[in-house]
Amino acid sequence: MSVSRVLNWLGNLMLVALGILILAPFLWLFITSVVPEDRAFALPPDWIPTKLDWTNYRQVFELIPFGGQVMNSVQVTAIVVVGSLLVSSMAAYAFARLRFPGRELLFVVFLAAMMIPIQVLTIPTYIMMRYARLLDTEAALWLPGLIQVFSIFLLRQHFRSIPREVEEAARIDGAGHLRTLFQIFLPMSAPVLSALAIFIAQTYWNDFFAPSVYLISDSRMTIPVGLVSLQNQFGSNPTVVIFAGVTLVVLPLLALFAAVQSKLTQGVALTGISR
Amino acid sequence: MSRMSWAEARAGYLLISPAALLFLIFIAIPFGAALVLSFFNWDILTPATFAGFGNYQTLFADNRVHSALFNTFVFTVSTVVLHIVLGLLLALAVNRVVGRWLKYFLRTAYFFPALVSWAAVALLWRYALDPEFGFVNYYLRGLGIDPPNWLVDTTWALPSLVAIDLWKTLGYTFVILLAGLQTVPQHLLEAAKVDGAGPLRRFWNVTVPMLSPTLLFATIITFIGALQIFEPMYIMTKGGPDNRTLSMVQEIYYNAFRDFEMGYACALAVVLSLIIMAITLLQLRLSRMWVTYER
Repeated sequence: MSVSRVLNWLGNLMLVALGILILAPFLWLFITSVVPEDRAFALPPDWIPTKLDWTNYRQVFELIPFGGQVMNSVQVTAIVVVGSLLVSSMAAYAFARLRFPGRELLFVVFLAAMMIPIQVLTIPTYIMMRYARLLDTEAALWLPGLIQVFSIFLLRQHFRSIPREVEEAARIDGAGHLRTLFQIFLPMSAPVLSALAIFIAQTYWNDFFAPSVYLISDSRMTIPVGLVSLQNQFGSNPTVVIFAGVTLVVLPLLALFAAVQSKLTQGVALTGISR
Repeated sequence: MSRMSWAEARAGYLLISPAALLFLIFIAIPFGAALVLSFFNWDILTPATFAGFGNYQTLFADNRVHSALFNTFVFTVSTVVLHIVLGLLLALAVNRVVGRWLKYFLRTAYFFPALVSWAAVALLWRYALDPEFGFVNYYLRGLGIDPPNWLVDTTWALPSLVAIDLWKTLGYTFVILLAGLQTVPQHLLEAAKVDGAGPLRRFWNVTVPMLSPTLLFATIITFIGALQIFEPMYIMTKGGPDNRTLSMVQEIYYNAFRDFEMGYACALAVVLSLIIMAITLLQLRLSRMWVTYER
């Protein structure tokens, strides 16, 4: 009995050590961003810094329009999350509950499209955006984001699991399809909706590929590309400013994540989305 | 059709129309256009010229494409194997942890890198692996290892990216498999135990079959994600040294948006799509042999 308890304890210790090891690069990042320049690349690193220097943070705002780029990311992310969930839930309701000719065929076509990788669509979309004069505008990022086939699929599955009686009761009370959807189906789907919202928000907040294709101006750029442009301003020399820039993006995320961790991991488990 | 069902059909079309319209504009038409464009040479500025299968012929003879295909293949296979094996081990280990706070810490620590953008992660690791300034080589030397210049060494550049990708994205696989483990019915494990099955036997005969749909799912999404890898190469190695870390998506990106070879880039994208679709369909087909669903 006591042997197995010791083993269990040792196992937990190893798991914790692995966790600390995984987080260590972030700790290095934070520390390097706040120590004075002459200590920034000291080896071994000052894991517990004695003197703090915040000038790097000021420099981030001077070198790139950091605040503006964060706001661009917020804007694109918010529009895609709200807009695509609206479009998706309407379509999902029709696919789940309404009969009309062509429904099955259309749904199969939607499903098949889930296998199409984004890159094959990007080139024609780039050309379309060019002709529509939407290159270098945020609309080029959020317009294609409004159609999320996976969200439609997941919401349809969920709507189908809602009992018919619920809908019939609403019908008797005189509710039309829109009211049934917005006042009954959506409130009943809060967990699925929030999981999808987290997944979509994270994808668009972190996206690097689309903004580097569709955007040019620094002032229109979203923050992931902004961060990398910080690096290009210095050629290949490592500079402490980059550490400050990356910290400004990572630290709030860590705080947010620590707060909503269980919801978020449930969401991933539910939707199972990668990268 | 009766009046009622006409009303229903009309409501259906109305509700579906925004999605259908967006699908048409941003998925169906671009997909068709990419197929058509792959048979043309076009730099956007001058009129397109028909190339027949020219782009595809060039592509199959192109050394850069060979490198990109090979690297993407190596990256994908190692990523998938490491993800499934290590993700499952981690999930099993954390699943037996009882302490609430300990579980909370482990899930946070393992999953957090997955949440951070590739841009931040790639910058971070680029400096952490720097031979002069980075702490990684410093500690390796402390252990008596003479480390290479990871991202510049022709042998080590690609394995380094596989390792960084593992550090960043293993948390996903871990969380998905951990959730899957929660659905393994406890009474089946108990029953197997009563029947005298040891831990390994219980794992193979109860846990794995019950987990198989989750395993299939994790495998497919890891495959698809790895085949589309772009950011770490683009930010950290630029495809170098000597094209050793050039990925397929990177090659598509360079051809389309640096060299403006739109037709050729489309041909490359079509080839990548076909590979992704073929692998996904093959996995779904093969899954009939090893995935068990309840009922």
